[in-house]
Order: sequence, then structure tokens, then C-alpha cells
Amino acid sequence: MPFFRNRRLFIFLIGFIVLVALIGYSLRERDNVTMVEQFINDTVGWAQNVIHVPVTFITDIISNIDDLRNTYNENQILREQLGQYKGLIYEVQELKEENEELKNALELTESDSIREFDAIQATVISRSPEQWLDEVTINKGKQHGIRENMVVITAEGMVGKIQTAQQYTSKVQLLTGFDQFNRISATISREEGNDIFGMIEGFDNETGTLLFRIIEESEKDVDEDELVVSSGMGGVFPAGMVIGTVKDVVPDQYGLTRTALVEPAADMYEINHVMVLDRAAAEVEEVEEEEEE
Amino acid sequence: MKRVYILLFLFLFLILEGVAIKFLPSSIVLSEQMMVPHWILLILIFVAVFFDKGHTYHAILYAIIFGFLVDIVYTGILGVYMFSYGIVVYIIHSLKKFLHGNFFVMLLFSILGLILSDLLITFIYDLVGIIKVSWEHYWLDRLVPTVILNLVFFIILYPILVKRLIAWGSEANWD
Repeated sequence: MPFFRNRRLFIFLIGFIVLVALIGYSLRERDNVTMVEQFINDTVGWAQNVIHVPVTFITDIISNIDDLRNTYNENQILREQLGQYKGLIYEVQELKEENEELKNALELTESDSIREFDAIQATVISRSPEQWLDEVTINKGKQHGIRENMVVITAEGMVGKIQTAQQYTSKVQLLTGFDQFNRISATISREEGNDIFGMIEGFDNETGTLLFRIIEESEKDVDEDELVVSSGMGGVFPAGMVIGTVKDVVPDQYGLTRTALVEPAADMYEINHVMVLDRAAAEVEEVEEEEEE
Repeated sequence: MKRVYILLFLFLFLILEGVAIKFLPSSIVLSEQMMVPHWILLILIFVAVFFDKGHTYHAILYAIIFGFLVDIVYTGILGVYMFSYGIVVYIIHSLKKFLHGNFFVMLLFSILGLILSDLLITFIYDLVGIIKVSWEHYWLDRLVPTVILNLVFFIILYPILVKRLIAWGSEANWD
């Protein structure tokens, strides 16, 4: 039997070497996932779609019945708000025209603007059961114009970015799984150029908040409940996407800079429909490297 | 032919693991406690005990294949599930010589397999630096809820699978 025992050990060691090699391979900076992975991901995604459709059909019916009950009250409130909007519409139109004129004066083209983007609608079809990694899969892929690093939002705010894009499905890295390799340049908007700039540097699991490091240190105090939006300076994400609200401000471990704890505006757990924003800038490629440093 | 059924069954649950969040109330599944479905592992343990004979190793082969698929589809970090599932199913396969396969022995095997595989997976992720694990929180926040969720699944699965796997096993090993 010693031969058999040795063979067992041999197989175990080979398995271990294969494990290390595979992990090393997948942790490498990969621009594109391999064809095999794309094919498997798309096949599974297709099957998940098949199961997903009838399930959402039933859950939608149930939530529709719920909605019907609240409709009357909501209608009253909305009607009141509608009155206020009429004034706003006029104001917005004026501002738009003025903005257009000023842009023309500066000779800015459409693609230069950091607020321009196309939205691609998508549905979440599955969530990674491995909950250490906060990933969801959506039912749109390269064929629909989705590329890596695009920002993903819901109606409430930003939820994450595209991790990998396959032909017909893509994987989204949620904000809750962000680390120092996935920074977002963000800002707290103030009047008269007193904006506060900084970086979203990661997610703190204990407090359930994003860490917003304030880069430019000054006397300006950050108040609670202030809105943090993306600044568009990282180059990948468009400007003005709502990220969350400030919950608390704490000094960092060296006492040199301050970090604001930002509560994400979007619900990271119940995500069904999302929009992927394609910032139609031509120089996305060069900007990606800057983002990843 | 019977092997194809097992493969299809495993593939079905590979898909369901990801969609399960839609079936289960997400307030429970996605709260502070992490519940991770290891349904494929449970089915593989059943296959190892009831389908395989002492000298056949189908379950381990399936564990490696489907572990690899889980890696590709749900994590993107290849090899971790493949290695963990492979090792755990191999251990169960060697343990079944000593214990006869009844309900309580299966329960024991499942708990053992779940704890071992989840520990291995977490340990490997922690080692290569993908996540930072606070081990004092790990036991109560992740391991216990995960084992409980999967044991519920185990109780549902047991009456459905056992007789069929034994029948398929004796048929498949004759030819």
C-alpha cells in the first residue's frame, strides 16, 4: 500500500499547484476574460434569465397589487408637486439655453462634457452566492454596448461599476465591495466654488458606510446629511451621480486628513433594475489607467 | 445515462444558487449575517455516499468540474471552490467506509463538509488578500448562518435524492 499512499499525496500536491497557478492567473490584471469563461458565463446567464422571467412576473403581480392600494394617496401628493414643477421647467429651460450659449462661446464639443452619457437599461438576473464578493450579474453585455468600468446606477443613486463584460451578460462590482483599487473621485457641492473634493476609497463593513477621504483640507466643515456626488474627474464616471449622504466625519489615524462616512443613497440589497451609463468620451482608454493607478 | 441526470441536476442548482436571492426573502439572506448557499456541495456529498461505490470516484470528478464552474460564474477567482469542494468530497468519500449511510450520518457528513469547505474558501481568500476576514466575527456572522441555511436545504433534499441515487448507483455500476 505505500505506493498508493504516495500516489494520493502526489495528486494532492498537483491539485495544490494547480490551485496556486489558477489563483495567480485570475488575480493578474486581466483586460479581458477568456473565451471559455465568457461562454460559460453567457450560458449560465441565459439559463438564469429563463428562470428569472417567470419569477419576476409573479413577484411583479404581487407588488402591483400593493401599489394599487397606495395609488390614491400618492396621486394627491404628486398633483401638488406638479404645480411646483411648472415653474421649475421654465427655469430649467432658461438655464439650458444659457448653458448652451456659454458652451458654444467656449467651443466645447459634446464629448468634452463630463455630464453627457447614454443610459443602457438592464435587469439584475443573479447575485453571487459568495457574499465576500459583492457582485451581481446583469442581462446586458458587450453586444449591447457595455464595456468595463462603466458606472451602474439605480433611480436612487450609484450602485457600482462593471467588473467584467461578456457578450450577453456582465458582472457588476457593487459599491459595498469597493477597495483602494476602485476609487471614485467625488465632491460635496457648495455654492460659490466652495466645493469639497475627495475620493471614495472603500467600504467599511462595520458602519456600513463608504469612506470619503477629503483631499483638500481647509476650514470648510462638512455637515451631516450633505449630498456626495461623483465629480467626473476620475474620467470614467460622469459627473453629478448621487453617491450618498454624509453620516459622520472622523479624523484618520494620523490626524492629518479627515474622512467622511457616507451612507450610500441606493439600496445595495434589493437591486432589480439598473442603468449602465456609457460616458461617450473618446479617451476612456487612457483614463482607465489613471483610475487604476 | 443516469450520470447525465446527476450532471443536469447539479447544473440546475448552479444556476439556482445565484437566482435564489429572488426566491428567498432578501431581508433575511442579505442582512448582517452572511448566508452562503453551498447546495452543489450538499448534492455532491449525497452522490459520494449513495451513488459511488468504494472504488469509483465520480463525485470527486463532478466536484472539481462544478467547483470550477462556480469559480468562473460567481467569483472570477479560479480554483478556490474547485480545490475546496474537491478536497471535502474526497474526505467524505473516504469517511463513508467507516459509517453506514443513514439520515444522522448524512447530517454529520453535511455539517462537517459545510464547515470544512467554508473555512477553506475563506482561508484561501484571506490568504491571497481578496478579503480581510475578522475571524472573531466570522464564526457567528457567517459560519453558523451558512450551516443552518444549508441544513434546511439538506432536510428538503434528503427524501428526494436518496432512493433515486441508490437506484441509479446500482444500475450504473452494473454496466
